[in-house]
Amino acid sequence: MDSSEGLSPITYLHLASRNLVRNRRRTLITLLTMIFGIATLTLLSALNDGWLSQMKTNFILSYTGHLQIHATGFEASQNLSDRIQEPEEVSKLMQSYPEIVGWTQRIRTSGLASVGGSSAGVQVMATDPEQETWVTSMDQRVTSGTWLRPGISHDLILGYTVAQNLGAELGDRVILMVQRLNGEMVSDVFFLRGILETGAPQIDRSLALVSLNSAQQWLQMGDSVTDIVIRADIHEHTDDLYRLFTQQLSEHKYEIMPWQELDPMVRQWLEFSDAYGFVILLVVIILVIIEILNTMLIALHERQKELGVIVAIGTTRIRIFLMLLLEAVMLIFIGAILGYLAGSLLVYSLADTGINLTRFANAFEFFYMDPVIHPQLTQDSAVKILSATLIAALLAGLYPAWRATHLSLSQALRIQ
Amino acid sequence: MGNNQDSSIIYLRGLHKCYWVGTMPFPALHGLDLDIAPGEFAVVAGRSGSGKSTLLNIVGALESADSGRVEVLGQDILGMNSEQRTRFRLHNIGFVFQAYNLIRVFTARENVAYVCQLQGKSRKESMEIANHWLHEVEIGHLGYRRPDQLSGGQQQRVAVARALASNPKLILADEPTANLDSMTGRHLIRLMHELNHRFGTTFLISSHDPDVKQAAGRLIKLADGQIVESWEEVPEPPQSLSASCPANHLPLGERVRNYIKTRKQSRARKRRGGNQRRS
Repeated sequence: MDSSEGLSPITYLHLASRNLVRNRRRTLITLLTMIFGIATLTLLSALNDGWLSQMKTNFILSYTGHLQIHATGFEASQNLSDRIQEPEEVSKLMQSYPEIVGWTQRIRTSGLASVGGSSAGVQVMATDPEQETWVTSMDQRVTSGTWLRPGISHDLILGYTVAQNLGAELGDRVILMVQRLNGEMVSDVFFLRGILETGAPQIDRSLALVSLNSAQQWLQMGDSVTDIVIRADIHEHTDDLYRLFTQQLSEHKYEIMPWQELDPMVRQWLEFSDAYGFVILLVVIILVIIEILNTMLIALHERQKELGVIVAIGTTRIRIFLMLLLEAVMLIFIGAILGYLAGSLLVYSLADTGINLTRFANAFEFFYMDPVIHPQLTQDSAVKILSATLIAALLAGLYPAWRATHLSLSQALRIQ
Repeated sequence: MGNNQDSSIIYLRGLHKCYWVGTMPFPALHGLDLDIAPGEFAVVAGRSGSGKSTLLNIVGALESADSGRVEVLGQDILGMNSEQRTRFRLHNIGFVFQAYNLIRVFTARENVAYVCQLQGKSRKESMEIANHWLHEVEIGHLGYRRPDQLSGGQQQRVAVARALASNPKLILADEPTANLDSMTGRHLIRLMHELNHRFGTTFLISSHDPDVKQAAGRLIKLADGQIVESWEEVPEPPQSLSASCPANHLPLGERVRNYIKTRKQSRARKRRGGNQRRS
């Protein structure tokens, strides 16, 4: 190919833009369809991101934190023998990372709670009452009574459902029975100080919360703990912290688990949400491709003769291909930008008030969701939507452009 | 490179072309032989279906022949691939079509400049060349208009300017006056004739318009895909169309003498070429 031959990009742009406006009505209808599609996609994507973000936040703040460090094997065994014997070794690392806004130590073990003649299996969790407030929002979810008091050894908080099942009321004596490290069963009396309602059934129906110091003495664990729970400043720093701790701590002694791994159901929900987002994206993109393909094929049919003339006077087929492709890309690009802007406006108008789904509040709580969903625009979604539409443009433009390069010159020139 | 470029700008031998509609053959050209010398103003006449457009399309590398030999400017057209033909057309042939066939979304000036840009000239230079040729065809003041804002005659002038802008050695015009009224058609033919005279560009025109035939330096009559008559004559010198054209400042007699001299040289070259081929 003679490199000196060529059309300037301005000429290509002139041709493409003027061809788009030569049939204004058709271009407008195509653009409106695309704008509607992309705006809907943007809104659905923002709603999806909004509830996902709520779900992540609620899940992380209700119980798990962003990252948990255990002794290797504890998450699978749930056995106190798999404990962190030197928590200070881990705790001193916390000061080095500004991404960490709070951390706490916990002991988790299974036990039995009894009130009067009623008993129920519980997950006994001991935590530092002050430190815990930096990591989770459990203290704010105490719906009756108050949060654990620092330095008071026999305060107890029960999950809402377990309290109901036991028929326990504030101030009641509750006997907790657990197994010590040496296998000995021990029990002690605690006083119901508060009732916690996280909305997550698996927590509300089993949690018995006591203070860390009293549990360490009661269980004869010394300073050892089972969990060190960390809260990051933003969700996105979880992976960075996970990498840092993985590098710093021996994998033989510690297992480091990000929040996604701590609850398989939440992980499945996130995967489902991704799949749902992908399906919506795919449907809208397929509609956009069909719309553009239709428009471009009609335009191609109408301009067969003109394209024939353009080739006749010396335009190579590759340039014809580029011209048609540019036209499709330009059309989709304009539609995608305007559609995304329209969608963004919708999202911003709903961002503060949100979409109120209180009618389905119970179902939402189950998934750590608030009944009011606040749509949220994220950079990831924007990149996903705009790159998907660009790929759609290329796909939709390829076939008409290819068809244009295979026009029969003599037939095209004979068209009246 | 062919053997005949010194003598003929177009050299056709035993040209066959047949179109098929389903299993029905429609012969368009049937063993056609033709030589066109540089600088000729040749008109191919004949009824509809006689093969005029097919002949021009094959010479213009727009379609292939089934068999025969086609050399244009000494190059074997039939041996070229699609890309080579496109480049050959771009640099050597200008086209004027019956229905003007301008690019609708471009102004007259952009239509003319487009071929220059294809040839690799800058946008600015292409626009200057376009302005020049639009002035030559006397519509310099209409360069900013789009085709739908021009009359048929004006559009065909733009098409002529576009054909000339790439500085071709050969212009093929397929029924250029068919869509014009007779006055505009005559005017266009005089213009093309004058351009042929001034710049020595070879014109091969298909037409059944009597005015076009009258202006022909050489008239080739086609019937059923074969040449049935061909004769040459010294045409009347073209009427001056534009006072702005530098050649129009020459005295009429001198212009006629120049033209006759050119014709004689052309015939002499052709005879020499014929002898060489025979030998």
